[in-house]
Amino acid sequence: MTGWFTRLFGGKPSDELDCHAVAEQLQQYLDAELDDEDRARLIALHLDKCRDCGLEAAAYERIKSTLSASAPDVPAESLERLRSFGERLARGEGEPTRPSPT
Amino acid sequence: MGEPDDTAAAAFERFVLPEIDLLLRVARSLTSNYAEAEDLVQDTLLRAYRGIAGFDGSYPRAWLLTILRNTHINRNRRRRPDLLRDPDTALAQLADTSGGDRADAFIDRSIDTTILDALDALDEGFRLVVELVDIDGLSYSEAADVLDVPVGTVMSRLHRARRRIRGQLAGSGFEPGPSSRSGDMREDGTR
Repeated sequence: MTGWFTRLFGGKPSDELDCHAVAEQLQQYLDAELDDEDRARLIALHLDKCRDCGLEAAAYERIKSTLSASAPDVPAESLERLRSFGERLARGEGEPTRPSPT
Repeated sequence: MGEPDDTAAAAFERFVLPEIDLLLRVARSLTSNYAEAEDLVQDTLLRAYRGIAGFDGSYPRAWLLTILRNTHINRNRRRRPDLLRDPDTALAQLADTSGGDRADAFIDRSIDTTILDALDALDEGFRLVVELVDIDGLSYSEAADVLDVPVGTVMSRLHRARRRIRGQLAGSGFEPGPSSRSGDMREDGTR
């Protein structure tokens, strides 16, 4: 549909997004927080075709991946103590190790 | 169907235990260290245990994150604005790549360092939302539960924070493409 529309009218079909519209929702798109799947598909289409917006998205993807990779390892012993604590609670063994926090 | 206590115990096992890992990670973001984070999660588990009988089973993660947030507030501990990363370690990593033919790796690490430094330089309110979403992996809605703010505020802070980080990248010569654009993002975070 895009092809014949563009050939006939020389412009964008009505459902094609411009850079401004993409920029407004780019972060939500990158975070997979867009509820509208059609909208997400149109943004993906635009990012694929538009160099500037594609680079913009790549920059934010890079930031996100660096931040994600910077997550410190959860200390295994800390996690194990908490799991053990939770399991004792689930078994109804009371509140074994800590005073009431309230 | 068992006794009420059995039901509560089963609910605790089903809804709470699988989230301990996430709770610990979010608690670390709130407290900036794992010793405090472990204490915070332990208190959170106790509160969840006491409240599980009244929990209707919907949105358990949101329920737990709200308990975590309230527990954190009640503990009245001040969060220390540091410790995401040890700067000496970062410098050592840079030094490790200064020789040899690893230019790409060096650039990669320089970009990482710039990004993490920019994160550290953010005001706490902005940094925390980035940590919750980009490091701990929470959704906007879950981060809003932790911070007790509207989802729109999470989006606004997150997007502004990322833009500042990106600005630091550009200022450090790591601008990946053409810079000035007419259609920048809105700051109000509306959908």
